[in-house]
Amino acid sequence: MSIHERASDGRQLLLYGVLVALIGFYLLPIEIGLMTSLKMNPLSTAPFLPPGLDGFTLEKWRQAFSQLANGLFNSLVLAIPATILSALLGSTAAYGLTTLNWRGQMPILVLFIAGIFIPYQAVLIPLSKFWAVYLPLDELLQTVWGLPMLEPYHGDLLALIISHVAYGIPITTLLFRTYYRNFSVEMIEAARLDGATPIRIYWRIILPLSVPMFAVTLIYQFTQVWNDLLFALVVVGPGEGAPVTVPLSQLGASLSEIGFGVRMAGAFIAALPTIVVYIMFGEQFAKGVAT
Amino acid sequence: MSTLKLDHVTKAFDDGSEDIIAVDDLSMTIDDGEFLVLVGPSGCGKSTTLRMLAGLETITAGEIHLGDRVINDVKPKDRDVAMVFQSYALYPHMTVRENMNFGLEESTTLSDEEIRPLVTETAEMLGIDELLDRTPDELSGGQQQRVALGRAIVRDPEVFLMDEPLSNLDAKLRSDMRTELQQLQGELGTTTVYVTHDQTEAMTMGDRIAILNDGVLQQVATPLEAYHRPANRFVAGFIGDPSMNFFEMTVQDDRLVTEQFTYPLTRKLRDAVDDVSQVTFGVRPESIELTQATAAIDHESVEFIAEVSDEHSFETIVDVVEPMGNENTIHLSFSGADDATFVATIDGERELTPGQTVVAHIPESEIHLFDGETGLAVHNRLRDESEATESTM
Repeated sequence: MSIHERASDGRQLLLYGVLVALIGFYLLPIEIGLMTSLKMNPLSTAPFLPPGLDGFTLEKWRQAFSQLANGLFNSLVLAIPATILSALLGSTAAYGLTTLNWRGQMPILVLFIAGIFIPYQAVLIPLSKFWAVYLPLDELLQTVWGLPMLEPYHGDLLALIISHVAYGIPITTLLFRTYYRNFSVEMIEAARLDGATPIRIYWRIILPLSVPMFAVTLIYQFTQVWNDLLFALVVVGPGEGAPVTVPLSQLGASLSEIGFGVRMAGAFIAALPTIVVYIMFGEQFAKGVAT
Repeated sequence: MSTLKLDHVTKAFDDGSEDIIAVDDLSMTIDDGEFLVLVGPSGCGKSTTLRMLAGLETITAGEIHLGDRVINDVKPKDRDVAMVFQSYALYPHMTVRENMNFGLEESTTLSDEEIRPLVTETAEMLGIDELLDRTPDELSGGQQQRVALGRAIVRDPEVFLMDEPLSNLDAKLRSDMRTELQQLQGELGTTTVYVTHDQTEAMTMGDRIAILNDGVLQQVATPLEAYHRPANRFVAGFIGDPSMNFFEMTVQDDRLVTEQFTYPLTRKLRDAVDDVSQVTFGVRPESIELTQATAAIDHESVEFIAEVSDEHSFETIVDVVEPMGNENTIHLSFSGADDATFVATIDGERELTPGQTVVAHIPESEIHLFDGETGLAVHNRLRDESEATESTM
């Protein structure tokens, strides 16, 4: 073995050492959370140590799940349509503002982009007033809520869906626009000469080529909507219609004890869907980010 | 039928403060079934012209007729033209078959069963029937280019528009495709407008070529006509490789004079330059005859002096020799004037070395004379077959 090889072996060892340390650093909080959620008494041993045989319980997970189940369901009802809608609308808007050419598209694009910079907090009061006073969907659509499976609180969820879609459109438009700018102009012109209308071009050419960017926006928007607490509190509030983040914030709160275990279990349960979504679209996501 | 006619077509791009004229008052007629090549340096307006024909650019002034309809305001998809792009512009997510189907599906009411044999037939004609199930990223450049052609051909349009379709291919493939494309167009008999900046493509492919410069049409003529009887100095310099040699000269009595040499004119030629005082003297490299004056002693020899004493022969020095195989390109300069260089081509068998002194003979029958101010041709070289015909402008 030459000196050079030995030196590079040493460097390799150092590199892996640092990487393992970093993995430990990032995973430690998760590990502590997991261990805490499995202990009968979280404070009995050091937080990162696994529970002893007699101290092990799944009771905290059961508790958390039963308290969050309704919220999880609401969150799915909220996040899935909101994500798909904002990605679709962002894609069509970007197509209209990037690939097609028409007079006055620049000012409109600027309005879209400006939407990205409006903080959630700035619109809380107007937003709640809008849905509560000007457009109370639970009252306006009273006949609809009479249908089986539907409840008036679905009106609040619908309002929340629309709010998230509206709030998501600027960023999804920008993401798709960046992507569409790299499309060959000649390809679109070829399609025009082939006789395709703008809508057909979108449907047959742009949309199939957008799959990687859809993965990016779906993951991004799903996480965004799923994790949101602010809009959920203001538009829906605690109650039957609340998305999971609302009951999660109240989980384990009692005067007698700080419910570490149940809180940790709840956090894992609430985070699970976003991880599943990431795994589902991960490969396409990487492609979309790379371009 | 499908005669394509441009009638005083102008295109101006709005550049905020002022308009940029890309195409200026262009008029020409492309006959049914003709292969017309639009050629010119980059930025001359040839692509803009093609895009106006396709309907991808609006027309600022003038009219474009296809057959008996004016197509100025007809949408691209309703013009019945097909275009082949430089980048091929294939749809990357579709197979070759789907790429070729697309135009028929979007522009006709043909059913899938009717489209299928049409696409297969076209693919067989182009030799890409084996590739129908592949996607563009699995094809070589040449194959992609064939698919792009097939996509245009399968639609059976009135007019093919081709925007530098061969320029992304390597040299060998390009010259093969040149021949094949010409044959194909001959068989199909579809009116074709072909844009290129490559004068070799223009010379070899076109029934006629239209030379553009700065948005202005310079000449429409058959390739040989443009070569032998260029309408002006620009055409003379653009067509032909290596390009024509030019010297700016003054008319003095019955001679043309420049710092490096004096060229006497016979009566007939003298009459042609009667109205001008400044001329551009042009001669093609292959028209220059080189006589060797090899050894130093030859300098003093009687024979050598006899040759130079011919009033259309000049003593020159070889600067650079570029062997091409079949011929040699020789860069020459006049003795005592390094800055005045010109190019001659000689047989590939003949060997010349840099620094050598040679005698260049420029026959009077081979020279072109252009007006020094307007650049218009006042005299073109004499050729038996074309002597009588006037160059069309």
